[in-house]
Amino acid sequence: MLSGLLKRFTRQKTKSKDEAKKRLQFSLIYDKLDLNDTILMDLQNDIVDVISKYFEIDKQSLELKVKRDDNVSALVFNTPILQVRRRRA
Amino acid sequence: MEGKIIVVTSGKGGVGKTTTTSAIGAALALEGNRVAIVDMDIGLRNLDVVMGLENRIVFNIVDVVQQKCKIEQAAIRDRRIENLFLIPASQSDNKDVLSTAGIERVAEDLRKQFDYIIMDSPAGIERGFENSIVGASEALVVCTPDVSAVRDADRVIGILYSRSLTPKLIVNRIEPGRVKRGEMLSHEDVMDVLAIELAGLVPMDDKVLISSNTGTPLVLQNDSKAGQAFKRIARRLNGEADLPFEAPTDRSSMWGKISRTFGLR
Ligand SMILES: Nc1ncnc2c1ncn2[C@@H]1O[C@H](COP(=O)(O)OP(=O)(O)O)[C@@H](O)[C@H]1O
Ligand SMILES: [Mg+2]
Repeated sequence: MLSGLLKRFTRQKTKSKDEAKKRLQFSLIYDKLDLNDTILMDLQNDIVDVISKYFEIDKQSLELKVKRDDNVSALVFNTPILQVRRRRA
Repeated sequence: MEGKIIVVTSGKGGVGKTTTTSAIGAALALEGNRVAIVDMDIGLRNLDVVMGLENRIVFNIVDVVQQKCKIEQAAIRDRRIENLFLIPASQSDNKDVLSTAGIERVAEDLRKQFDYIIMDSPAGIERGFENSIVGASEALVVCTPDVSAVRDADRVIGILYSRSLTPKLIVNRIEPGRVKRGEMLSHEDVMDVLAIELAGLVPMDDKVLISSNTGTPLVLQNDSKAGQAFKRIARRLNGEADLPFEAPTDRSSMWGKISRTFGLR
């Protein structure tokens, strides 16, 4: 209770360290992606291989990109499905 | 003898590599190990002045690699701490004359003569850094709780991994008061971002500068919080892997102490 009261007095509007942490988390991901274009390409090819086992996909119009908003960054793989492959038993 | 070579590195300059190298080296020697500290910051030697051994330099690491002298001739024995030796850097910028094969040969010889060999790496990720990791089997990455040091640490960690080294992290110059106020990244924040194992936490401590002013070993000063922290890191390296981590605390904050004691926070 008392500590809560103290906290209220000492609280800052924004904690600059939280901003530092968030910015770092983003920039480190980007640093690595920037450095590794070939890795991104390899990843895309591997994903295509795996998905192609199950679906026929349009390899021309697929895209792999990094999306970023305030809280998360995500790897987004977008591909139209042309047909579901039949799987043999 | 089959000693361990540990490289201390960081990417960014001025974060505490040299301080860490000399303190951990001294602490490992105090624990009874035979220790060589090697200044790999060729052209910008500092370890000698920090350790107060600058007046006794005859040969340096470049001489050893180039077989102009033996390790025994270049290694300066510390007179205050038994079994502690410094191999200084050269003061001319001739790091490019160091061949990888030459460094490997010296590394092998060092492993035969010492229990621990600590390599103080230069800042950056270029040739001098590469030279300093050649013989290493362990790596310590030093970083301060600020955005540029953490980012550089991440870069270096990536390179170390690609060389099959699994680095551990030292967070240096922690200011508990500022961490508490949310002005400074906590060690947990830094670890979240870097996702590597911790080697130790070192507080900001005025005694660090004072001990380097006079060239006296930090770890001999019992009232130095940083010195004590480095001693704990050395113990962890030296077999006490489970020694718990202690987050630095703010001496001035009485309330913090009381509330921690009673488990209120
Ligand atoms: N824990 C600490 N508390 C206070 N000052 C420190 C601490 N660690 C390092 N310093 C100071 O920071 C400066 C840079 O340290 P140094 O070890 O030379 O860094 P680097 O070798 O990474 O360039 C020195 O002046 C040193 O005294
Ligand atoms: Mg240095």
